[in-house]
Amino acid sequence: MAEEENGAAGGGEFYLRYYVGHKGKFGHEFLEFEFRPDGKLRYANNSNYKNDTMIRKEVFLTPSVLKECRRIVSDSEIMKEDDNNWPEPDRVGRQELEIVMGNEHISFTTSKIGSLMDVQTSKDPEGLRIFYYLVQFALLASSVELAW
Amino acid sequence: MANTADVDALDFEPDDDDLMDEDAAVDVDASSPSAAAPIPKLKSAITAGSAAALASSVPKKIKGRGFREETDAGRSNRLSGRFDSLDSDGGPGPERSIEGWIILVTGVHEEAQEDDLQNAFGEFGEIKNLHLNLDRRTGFVKGYALIEYENFEEAEKAITSMDGGELLTQAVNVDWAFSRGPFKRKNNRRRSPRGHRSRSPQRRF
Repeated sequence: MAEEENGAAGGGEFYLRYYVGHKGKFGHEFLEFEFRPDGKLRYANNSNYKNDTMIRKEVFLTPSVLKECRRIVSDSEIMKEDDNNWPEPDRVGRQELEIVMGNEHISFTTSKIGSLMDVQTSKDPEGLRIFYYLVQFALLASSVELAW
Repeated sequence: MANTADVDALDFEPDDDDLMDEDAAVDVDASSPSAAAPIPKLKSAITAGSAAALASSVPKKIKGRGFREETDAGRSNRLSGRFDSLDSDGGPGPERSIEGWIILVTGVHEEAQEDDLQNAFGEFGEIKNLHLNLDRRTGFVKGYALIEYENFEEAEKAITSMDGGELLTQAVNVDWAFSRGPFKRKNNRRRSPRGHRSRSPQRRF
């Protein structure tokens, strides 16, 4: 069992952090979550627009959940991408995706991606598309798990 | 329950536990003048509660604009401090959600539908919630599902019955989704199938 754990979908460290936000007339609005190697999932959502409260939740996930997250990240092949040609964060907003998997550590930043059209018309549609879908998944996963 | 005892060893040192203490880590990073320096050193460039907590001695290949930017002073605060959490003692073992017990099914066949899961898992108890995530790019199932039962016994029965079983001819694994506390680092000895207190068999000449 230990042997098959070593590899992209298996052993070694795993960490994932995603941030999306902007600073606007309602202040700093953001959403951020973090899958930590010890299983803790932290989620923070600060939307001043609503009523100035910040939602902060955390829960511990089992190794099975992290293993599945790792598999999905691995399958997406995001670790092979680079944010060189992605639009830089701007006044409209920014996204950050930071992942540690095994001996690789990526820390990508880009602007908010409104739609697949933005992806298509960018300088790196392939890479951005991977990023876009992975983020969709991660958002869904974290919101489902924190749906309490 | 047996599954949660078999946690995988993770490659961080025991004394890194200090870095997992958000308050301590935040103080170090927030007050450190080097926090804003755009040096791609893992510990200083990244926020307190995050990658710094890994503190692994394994050198990493790094990539991305995030390493070259100045660290936003607020970043170290966003994911630190007090967070709402489920009431738990922090020990190992499954944790319930607010309304029930959630299990994770992985290895779900890409053409599986909610009905298939309902049929396979409905016999262990009433399914309160079922999330079968679709891969938005392909339209197929993402490969996992989250199922919530009201009672611990129902969820446990689903796990012991279906873990390693089959759904639509494909093998699935089933385990708890939430834990009461962090993974504990497994002693190397526990990799022995006999457990870490085993004695070697008596020699016979």
